[in-house]
Amino acid sequence: MLNPLPVVVADIRRSRTGFLAVVGLIAVAVALGVSVSAQERALRTGSARAADAFDLLVGAPGSPTQLVLTSVYLQPAALPLVPGAVLKRLQQESGAVYVAPIAFGDRYRDYPVVGSTAAFVTLGGTRKPAEGRIFASEREVVVGADVRLALGARFAPSHGVVAPKAEPEDKASDHDHHDVEYVVVGRMPRSGTPWDRAIVAPVEAVWEVHGLSNGHPEGAERIGPPWDGPEVAGVPAIVVKPKTVADAYKLRGKYRTEGTTALFPAEVLVDLYSLLGDARDLLAAISVATQALVIAAVLLAVFASLALRRQQLAILRALGASRRYVFAVVWTHVSLMITLGSVLGLVAGWAGAAVLSAVFSARTGIALSATLARQELLMAAAVIAIGMLLAGIPSWSSYRQSVSAGLRS
Amino acid sequence: MTNGLKATNLILAYRMSAGIHTVLNLEELIVPAGSVVGITGPSGSGKTSLLHVLGGLERPQYGSVCWGGDDLCRLTETERDRWRRERVGMIFQDFHLLPGMTALQNVLVPATFDRFVLSGQVKDRARALLTHVGVPGGLQRVETLSRGEMQRVAVARALLFAPSIVLADEPTASLDGASSERVTMLLLDSCREARTTVVVVSHDSAVLRRLDAVHTLVGGRLTTTAQDTVSRC
Repeated sequence: MLNPLPVVVADIRRSRTGFLAVVGLIAVAVALGVSVSAQERALRTGSARAADAFDLLVGAPGSPTQLVLTSVYLQPAALPLVPGAVLKRLQQESGAVYVAPIAFGDRYRDYPVVGSTAAFVTLGGTRKPAEGRIFASEREVVVGADVRLALGARFAPSHGVVAPKAEPEDKASDHDHHDVEYVVVGRMPRSGTPWDRAIVAPVEAVWEVHGLSNGHPEGAERIGPPWDGPEVAGVPAIVVKPKTVADAYKLRGKYRTEGTTALFPAEVLVDLYSLLGDARDLLAAISVATQALVIAAVLLAVFASLALRRQQLAILRALGASRRYVFAVVWTHVSLMITLGSVLGLVAGWAGAAVLSAVFSARTGIALSATLARQELLMAAAVIAIGMLLAGIPSWSSYRQSVSAGLRS
Repeated sequence: MTNGLKATNLILAYRMSAGIHTVLNLEELIVPAGSVVGITGPSGSGKTSLLHVLGGLERPQYGSVCWGGDDLCRLTETERDRWRRERVGMIFQDFHLLPGMTALQNVLVPATFDRFVLSGQVKDRARALLTHVGVPGGLQRVETLSRGEMQRVAVARALLFAPSIVLADEPTASLDGASSERVTMLLLDSCREARTTVVVVSHDSAVLRRLDAVHTLVGGRLTTTAQDTVSRC
């Protein structure tokens, strides 16, 4: 059993800068690939989780993508309204656990104020508020985990989905100020979705603020379903929680008509993911090409340095080292650089993806957690394996080198 | 003794663009076991090539190199590596220590050629040798040593496994007078004491006059055996 390590360590110590440069180069190439792959998966799982509460969406005909982006991810956009009659019909469906309209249009500061129902906020009673309680009257609201309003705080919403950027917040709110005041009665637990930044009011309140009927018979001031008044206002989207998978498909089929569209957000996400996947594939191809280039560059550098090390290796042979020993010295050196670089790259790639995820979460409210999965580990392992294999080439050339010629060089 | 040399009918030639260049062409070279002989001659006469052939680092096109019973020319490269590891100590003009290592680590390098973990015994031997050559402890990096100290560390490295053969290529050529003297004495005394066969390539008269015999190589041929009457010390 030979031990090339003392010679390898002395070599590394002697050329520390070069060694670190090569390790760093490999690390950057691997980190690039790892972070692209980890980030894409984080984006996929994070966005899919955000859509969990939205089993079936019913809206007016239009862009399915926009319907999902606006209702699931709260991307501001003016959606066409689905008539109140549809809501009335939907709440009669026996296949639905709950039917919740979602009414956008107002905001307070940067927070969207969305009209809906208690069932939607509590996911049909399965989610309890973290603080306080659910709204019980038209002037009460619950806020998401990231909304900076204390329980008991009162505020007046303003019209429009985007806060004007140029003007200071207080002044801007003078213009489209609604003439009502809400009070915060509850805060929902963190969901890791954009809804953590939303204020949810009873849908009746949002209707009335905009001068519409509250959907209930004349004089009735209660909130929540059923809406059986003579006039029920239109809403941009309706969330339906079906009882069973079969109900989900049945309802989706039934409300895919000329006047309405019904979809599973998952379907739309699959389309988006395939776009995302294409982008990921492109970036992955670029990173694989980078890794190949870096390994090629490393091997070239090793070959160049072999010319300088010819004599040293020949001396080892003259002192009695076998050809296998010389092979082991070169191979261990190269493999060490590649392994170290890949492991560092794995860690750096994960850290990079974590930072990207944090930035993305801060911007969108979609909680992303970047993790290293088999895919990234395999990628690093592949770089190490290929590197170790290719390290055999310069090692073999050292193995075959003439001792006598090396001593004279 | 098994460590005497008998080399016969050696021919070493290189194919060059200008034709075949014969580097060595010698009928017979005999070095009795335990003796200390020198090879001298003008530069380019093939001295270093001869030493490489004798050390099994280069295979001649023709002839035989027998150390004791082993004909190097009949061994495979792997067998020659093993033979060299077990029997030969090498010393070079430019010391060829490995930078980045301490003196002790340098002396121990040959011990890593065929084992992973070094025994306490071999480490003790290395320390004793370093004390013997005047670099006690050996914990300083070799880059920080003087040239004389470097060559003495190289001598200690060559002697680690108590070789039966020592081959030295101009061991004093890059040392000043005093260091040269000290290295020569150290090497020759140690080898004579251990009955080691030594072949030294040298121009240094201070070295040559201490040897049992000196052969002169000119144009790859042995011309004379000049000093074979020098008495053994």
